[in-house]
Amino acid sequence: MNIITCYKIVPEEQDIVVLPDRSLSFARAEWKIGQYDLNAIEAGMQIVEAAGGKVSALSVGDKQLENSKLKKGVLSRGPEDLYLVMDEQLENSDTFLTAQVLTAAIRKIGEFDLVICGEGSSDLYAQQVGAQLGEMLNIPTINGISKITPEGNKIIAERTLGNEIEVLEISLPAVVSVTTDINLPRIPSMKNILAAGKKPIIEWDLSAVGLQGVTKQTEVISTLAPENVERKKVIFEGESEEVIQKLFESIRKELL
Amino acid sequence: MSKVTKVWVFAEKNTALAQLCAGGRQLGEEVSALVLGTKEEAEKAVSYGADKVYWLGSSKQDKMLEDYTATICELLKKESPNLLMMQASKRGKHVAGRLAANIGTSVIVDAAGIEIAGGMIQVKHMVYGGAAFRVERALGKTTITTVGPGLFNALPEDNSRQGSVVEVDFVEPAGSVKCLERKSKKGAEVNLSAAKRVVGIGRGIASQEDIKIVEEFAGLIGAEVGCSRPIAEGVNWMPKERYIGVSGAMLKPEVYIAIGISGQVQHMVGVNQAKVIIAVNKDKGAPIFQHTDYGIIGDLYKVLPALKELIKTNNEN
Amino acid sequence: MSSEKYEVIIIGAGLAGLSAAYSLAQAGIEVVVVERGDYPGSKNLSGGVLYSRVLDKLIPNFWEEAPIERYITNYLTTLMTKYDYFNLEYKGKALGSIPYNAVTVLRAKFDRWLAEKAEQAGAMIVTGIKVEKLIKEGNRVIGISTGDEEMLADVVIAADGINSFIAQEAGLRGEIKPLHLAVGAKALIELPRERIEERFRLTGNEGAAYAMLGEATRGVAGGGFFYTNQESLSIGVVMRLDDLVKEKVKPAEVLDDLLQHPMVAPLVKDGVMTEYGAHLTGEGGLHMVPAKLYADGMLIVGDAAGFTINSGLVIRGMDLAIGSGIAAAEAIIEAKGKDDFSEGSLSAYQRNLDESFVMKDLKLYAKTPEFMESDRLYKQYSHMVNHLFGKVYAHDMSPKEHLVKTAMNSLKESGISLFDLAKDGIKGVRAL
Ligand SMILES: Cc1cc2nc3c(=O)[nH]c(=O)nc-3n(C[C@H](O)[C@H](O)[C@H](O)COP(=O)(O)OP(=O)(O)OC[C@H]3O[C@@H](n4cnc5c(N)ncnc54)[C@H](O)[C@@H]3O)c2cc1C
Ligand SMILES: Cc1cc2nc3c(=O)[nH]c(=O)nc-3n(C[C@H](O)[C@H](O)[C@H](O)COP(=O)(O)OP(=O)(O)OC[C@H]3O[C@@H](n4cnc5c(N)ncnc54)[C@H](O)[C@@H]3O)c2cc1C
Ligand SMILES: Nc1ncnc2c1ncn2[C@@H]1O[C@H](COP(=O)(O)O)[C@@H](O)[C@H]1O
Repeated sequence: MNIITCYKIVPEEQDIVVLPDRSLSFARAEWKIGQYDLNAIEAGMQIVEAAGGKVSALSVGDKQLENSKLKKGVLSRGPEDLYLVMDEQLENSDTFLTAQVLTAAIRKIGEFDLVICGEGSSDLYAQQVGAQLGEMLNIPTINGISKITPEGNKIIAERTLGNEIEVLEISLPAVVSVTTDINLPRIPSMKNILAAGKKPIIEWDLSAVGLQGVTKQTEVISTLAPENVERKKVIFEGESEEVIQKLFESIRKELL
Repeated sequence: MSKVTKVWVFAEKNTALAQLCAGGRQLGEEVSALVLGTKEEAEKAVSYGADKVYWLGSSKQDKMLEDYTATICELLKKESPNLLMMQASKRGKHVAGRLAANIGTSVIVDAAGIEIAGGMIQVKHMVYGGAAFRVERALGKTTITTVGPGLFNALPEDNSRQGSVVEVDFVEPAGSVKCLERKSKKGAEVNLSAAKRVVGIGRGIASQEDIKIVEEFAGLIGAEVGCSRPIAEGVNWMPKERYIGVSGAMLKPEVYIAIGISGQVQHMVGVNQAKVIIAVNKDKGAPIFQHTDYGIIGDLYKVLPALKELIKTNNEN
Repeated sequence: MSSEKYEVIIIGAGLAGLSAAYSLAQAGIEVVVVERGDYPGSKNLSGGVLYSRVLDKLIPNFWEEAPIERYITNYLTTLMTKYDYFNLEYKGKALGSIPYNAVTVLRAKFDRWLAEKAEQAGAMIVTGIKVEKLIKEGNRVIGISTGDEEMLADVVIAADGINSFIAQEAGLRGEIKPLHLAVGAKALIELPRERIEERFRLTGNEGAAYAMLGEATRGVAGGGFFYTNQESLSIGVVMRLDDLVKEKVKPAEVLDDLLQHPMVAPLVKDGVMTEYGAHLTGEGGLHMVPAKLYADGMLIVGDAAGFTINSGLVIRGMDLAIGSGIAAAEAIIEAKGKDDFSEGSLSAYQRNLDESFVMKDLKLYAKTPEFMESDRLYKQYSHMVNHLFGKVYAHDMSPKEHLVKTAMNSLKESGISLFDLAKDGIKGVRAL
């Protein structure tokens, strides 16, 4: 089975700095692979390891995609090759534009049976791109997938919803978004990382996928951190009886 | 606040539908509800506040709600409402995304506020795991957004309200996702949001058995037990209903006690409204200490038992 | 378990490991660097003054491309008591021209840049993986193990820093004495570049380096440093481990106090602390360098080999790390020519080191650690000097004494005997 897994490069949340005017600064942020996209890559790998085939990874975005450590990071998790669509116009892309570019890139890649997206990107967590992508590619699509079993030219999948589990039969090609409990993503080994350095990486810009001049469909008016809730920050250090006694004294009225 | 002309609402559940209808009334001059269900259910939407009901028909045995996407899509293209609000459930988000792709827009998910400013719809929603709120506006004719529980309060049901019910023809979907089986999943009903005191467990707890230690502690002070996301999704030591944060439960307890939780923003937004936050963490640098009223830097396996003893002695006296 | 084999494996992507990797890769040798941190530099901490002549040897005209912060033109020595301080400043014209004598660097950026250079040259760098132990065949080191995986090599270079348990495992190094170790705590404070230039009287990319003695460390053996970067300041304290334990002080608290000190506070005012970290560093100089730096199939470089010089006024380790990395690479290139990676063949490393500034400087400064052991240096001299100048400048209507007399009084006040003073003076001149 030919599988394409989609991942997004996102800023490390802990490195986002709230400026005095409550706007956010990413100047010091490390960038990383979206946490839940690792589940998508792993899901693809488990399918081809069980049933044969090939996994390609795909991401679209701005210059953050150039980070060689992140490219290796993706490839060290198993995919055989990596496709990137990099363009300044894709900075802070909205879900529609992202899905549009992914659609064009996937068409250009050509042959595929299954596209796997994560549950949501770590920054926007819109849980949208998978559904939009499926619709744009005009193939079956579904979200919330927590188990995939290949069966000829279709897959049998479990979908976890609030209080029920659906067993679905999905004809291929299709786009699925997987949940975080579908698997535990592997930690790449030293040899995986070394092998990753030798795998092919194909880089395109927007015109290479025939999408010169596309734009976002939403306009951001403001992005501001919420007002801080002031906390007392009475912090004790240590595990001795006295320290815990002191802690207890100060929180006694909250606990009893 | 000024209003837009046409607001559409769609929900899986009646409680959500009632809330969305009420929201629709605040935002739009005419509210239309899309209803999949019996004729009675369709009519009920009027009593929630809808002026018009697009009745998609009774749900068919062999069809999933998602199979109605094409049907809704045709209607949407024809009528171009200003705003479509969908229930922020997994199904709701999925259908919303597919509709948006068809009409050429993005969905603005999980609205925390919807405003009409200068005739334009602006939706506020969390980004970066709750580190910020973004106000965003869709550029196309129709804004599609998903709305979680609690943004709008349902109006009292009014059976005297008048409205029209229009039956919509089913449009056969192109692709094929067939539901073979449905298994009900019994998640214990928990209502963390009602609890006055909540103890949250994080990855600082070393094994599933050890959760007992925390449960006993919670029992002593009459608290409910919740957890961080990795405890519920990842190691799966606690049911999903119990995880707290931006993608889990959003709480407003009197007291929140975080045990072995690092305090990432995605978790903290779920408890930031707590009156008092107490934390036990062995890492001095853990972000949680920036958000606590009372904290202790120490091993939970030493702190909790000692604290338990103190509470017990105190209770006895 | 099948094991891949490479020509050289380097444990640790600090400056020592990366310099060796870069030199080896340039010579066409197949080299893998294994680093436990998420990226090169992520776990490293330095005050940040790199004596950079050796970098010019590694990467000619490095200043054209390396992410250097400022070149140091102003050296200040500060003797401080709790409320007073005495500064001695040197500014030299030559210090500001290429090839620069010393530059400030931020390791998170600098190490990553050097890692990229090494990768471009052909080295392979693996991050996020910790080496657990060496694989040996008899006495010969033949590879490394991460616990789950093994990888073989003709030569393994231990570049794993001051705590090097790899060097210990190889039997090249014993336990380090606490006397030879110091704890460094450092904060990074961001400040707009114009402010820095104004406050420190700098033009363009000129930089200042303060060495602070006395109250900077609350009298604990060691010193404080304070360096300018482009848009931030690096400030920290280095305190000898044995004395730190004895005096029961916490580095973080000492650093907090230092930030409040009347000399420091106005210079860091309105700055935002964006990083804080603590790390061990060597204090022993030549005394902590192991007797043998090579074994069959193995070499040790940088901090792992004990290459630091702490003269009280300057801490040097980065330049020695680079220098030893180059020396190791050259020895391996030579050994490869003979296809002999035995101890005898790799002893060329020792020869290269002896011929380079690394050993020469270590020998030159061999006496400093002893000199630095003197308590007087940290506690009494600062008091004496500040007392003296306090008297000299105080015009409190009392009749002025002769300067020599004032000095003698200050000396008496400080509790240092003339004999001690003379002894320290001689030691100091010999050591610094
Ligand atoms: C899009 C997105 C949405 C997310 N939504 C949520 C959400 O809704 N809710 C949520 O919780 N997370 C959410 N997360 C995950 C979140 O980013 C963090 O990964 C998670 O909250 C961390 O959980 P933790 O604090 O339990 O674990 P860790 O971050 O691993 O922290 C464990 C802590 O335990 C401490 N500790 C360890 N041992 C001990 C001991 N013996 N005694 C005392 N302390 C100890 C450690 O010092 C550490 O601080 C989301 C992430 C993303 C990307
Ligand atoms: C506070 C302070 C201030 C200093 N100031 C200065 C200064 O101003 N100027 C100066 O020249 N020097 C200074 N030094 C000294 C200087 O930082 C060191 O000498 C220098 O970093 C040594 O480089 P290295 O490459 O040998 O080791 P390191 O830079 O320590 O690198 C060792 C690397 O090995 C990795 N590693 C360790 N164990 C393993 C393992 N098992 N598996 C895989 N990877 C491993 C580590 O993560 C690290 O990246 C200072 C030191 C301190 C602590
Ligand atoms: N820029 C992107 N490039 C590739 N895939 C993406 C991108 N953004 C989102 N995705 C995929 O779509 C999923 C859902 O993203 P979102 O709709 O932003 O929550 C992610 O988990 C990824 O699998």
